[in-house]
Amino acid sequence: MAAPGASSPASSKAHGRRTWVLGLLLGLLGLGVLISPLLGTVAISPETVLRILFHQASGGALFSDPCAGASVPASGCAGLIEIVWDARLSEVMLAVVVGAGLGISGGTLQGVFRNPLADPFLLGISSGGTLGAAVVVVFQIDVAQQNLLLPLFAFIGAIATSVVILAAARSRFGSVETLLLTGVALSSFLSSILSLLLLYNPTGSLQVDFWLLGNLGSLDWTQDGIAFGVVLVAGTLLATHGRELNLLQLGPDVAQSLGVDSRKIRVRLLLLASVTTAAAVAFTGIIGFVGLVSPHVVRRVAGSDYRLVLPGAALVGGGFLLAARDLSLVAFPGTLLPIGIFTSFAGAPFFAYLLYRRRQSSTMGGT
Amino acid sequence: MSSRTVPLAWFVVAVILAAGISVTGVATYYATRPSTSPGSLTITDDLGRRDTVTTDPARVVVLGPSIMDSMYRLGLRSHVVGVDCYAPSLGGLSSDYSSDQVTLWNLSSSMCVQTGPVFNIEQLLALAPKLVLASTIVSVGAVEQITQTYHIPVVMLQPATLTGIVLDDDLLGEVFGVPTASSALVASLQNQIFRAASLQANLTANGTPFPTVLVTYSVDGNGYWSFGPTTFGQSLIELASGASIAANATLPYPELSGEQVLLSDPAFVVYGTGYGLNESTYAAGPFWSQLSAPHDGQAFGLDSNYFTEPDPTMILLGLPQLISVLHPASSTA
Repeated sequence: MAAPGASSPASSKAHGRRTWVLGLLLGLLGLGVLISPLLGTVAISPETVLRILFHQASGGALFSDPCAGASVPASGCAGLIEIVWDARLSEVMLAVVVGAGLGISGGTLQGVFRNPLADPFLLGISSGGTLGAAVVVVFQIDVAQQNLLLPLFAFIGAIATSVVILAAARSRFGSVETLLLTGVALSSFLSSILSLLLLYNPTGSLQVDFWLLGNLGSLDWTQDGIAFGVVLVAGTLLATHGRELNLLQLGPDVAQSLGVDSRKIRVRLLLLASVTTAAAVAFTGIIGFVGLVSPHVVRRVAGSDYRLVLPGAALVGGGFLLAARDLSLVAFPGTLLPIGIFTSFAGAPFFAYLLYRRRQSSTMGGT
Repeated sequence: MSSRTVPLAWFVVAVILAAGISVTGVATYYATRPSTSPGSLTITDDLGRRDTVTTDPARVVVLGPSIMDSMYRLGLRSHVVGVDCYAPSLGGLSSDYSSDQVTLWNLSSSMCVQTGPVFNIEQLLALAPKLVLASTIVSVGAVEQITQTYHIPVVMLQPATLTGIVLDDDLLGEVFGVPTASSALVASLQNQIFRAASLQANLTANGTPFPTVLVTYSVDGNGYWSFGPTTFGQSLIELASGASIAANATLPYPELSGEQVLLSDPAFVVYGTGYGLNESTYAAGPFWSQLSAPHDGQAFGLDSNYFTEPDPTMILLGLPQLISVLHPASSTA
């Protein structure tokens, strides 16, 4: 049997299929990015939104008066442009970037752990990020710079947690089970520290809720850019490891015999997935299930080749988060609710379905 | 002079000194606060942030009921174009403001800027404010966003002490160019604080112990939620010459178990009303019927906002009402 990822007579056909699937996913995501800004909490006609988008994207060349005929707020057309371009579109783009980051991290972790239930949050990375953010809020560290410090501390918290996980991975006892259980234990430990901090500073809990429930709002293009840069670099590096992940699925010994240093690759992938997750968590807080669901969607549609699963999970993750945002606005017009609630609504039943399928296949003697 | 009266005299002197220092502090604060150019003012807010604001801004969004109380009392309601609300589907305006406040301040849902559970920047921008006055119900990150991305000045008003409430009202008077109104409000606030301090000094001088009291704002099957150290609720109880049974709690908002409350058996119970809470709610709490205060007719309901919202109403209405509960003779004197 040819190892997944190795050359085969059908490789050109597979390559063509991969291109086709990724192209389709990319097209759908692009359509979502165009449609999503039509939805918001302030009523603006779709025509005006589109005019503003094209006006801004063309540097003012198209639609010289994008607000013509629209009902404008007291601040005039500039106010509408701020709402559509700066507030709404930056939120949409952040959803894409964060969703993509979580999706590709989830796909990577599922491959590394050879466990379809693995998820970026299972390892406690998000709990570390939340604790980092809470430290800034509770101890009111340099209040004037919190806009910068909050994501920075969240990132540091997430990375610090990842370092502990990586240390466990590099140790003699770094089995898959040990890593997962270390993550679960760390997550509980960090959550208890967070609860203790908040008990002594209840005012801070209002702000920490932001992290616990996940949120796309209150950000701008600068933060989008930072998140995009980190996710793009770390995500691209992850996506280049599809072949190694394919070989890891055959077991460490087989992977080793095929030239893959499984421990080294595992540590490297864990590090990259952690950085990607940390970048997402730093700006949005905990958004669950995107990393779990997205790789499975790609597998169902296009098979389990990680060279397709990883970039596909990034595109599906971005689309999933965007869809969650849009559905929340349709279900609760005029209201912004934490996005994490909606991803969990969709993700939790999916998780239960996966558990059911695993149990069913093991009962039937499958793998 | 007996040995007992010496400490009492020192206590009275200390109270007067504290009041003096407080007034001096206020005066110093006024004198040193920098202003930049005519028409604008650079101020340092309660979180230590510095921002330059246009004086007398016409369109203001207020994010915090306590700030709205100050704006109303300073006669600045007409400047307010938006106020904080919870998510419309989760209560909206009524989550943050009582029906009395909505009526008195003429608030409507069209003024809503959703601050929870997620801050809604779109609604804020649609109101085109020239100034945002915010309490910590808005995350500091969101505040910085408003300032840096959308260039709308934000002043955070979150006093840490009762004196801070007075200072904030004076600051608002300066920003909106209403020194007469703010001076009058500040004077009435200081008057209430002074009266309470005088009562405290008299009670101490006479050797009258402060009555024990449980001030509770919520109840469940385990016990009564109260105000611990560093909270406005505790400051108010202290100023009203009460001895809270939660004064030495470890947490700022502790839940006292039914057993703890029964063991302390306070002379008075003051329970917070509003938001669906009334005496029957608390009467369902643990050991309520075995406490002396309800049995002796010494359980009283007061508006919860008096203990939680750091605003002028806390001092102008909450403080005298709490004093009249704990020291009925003083209020009739």
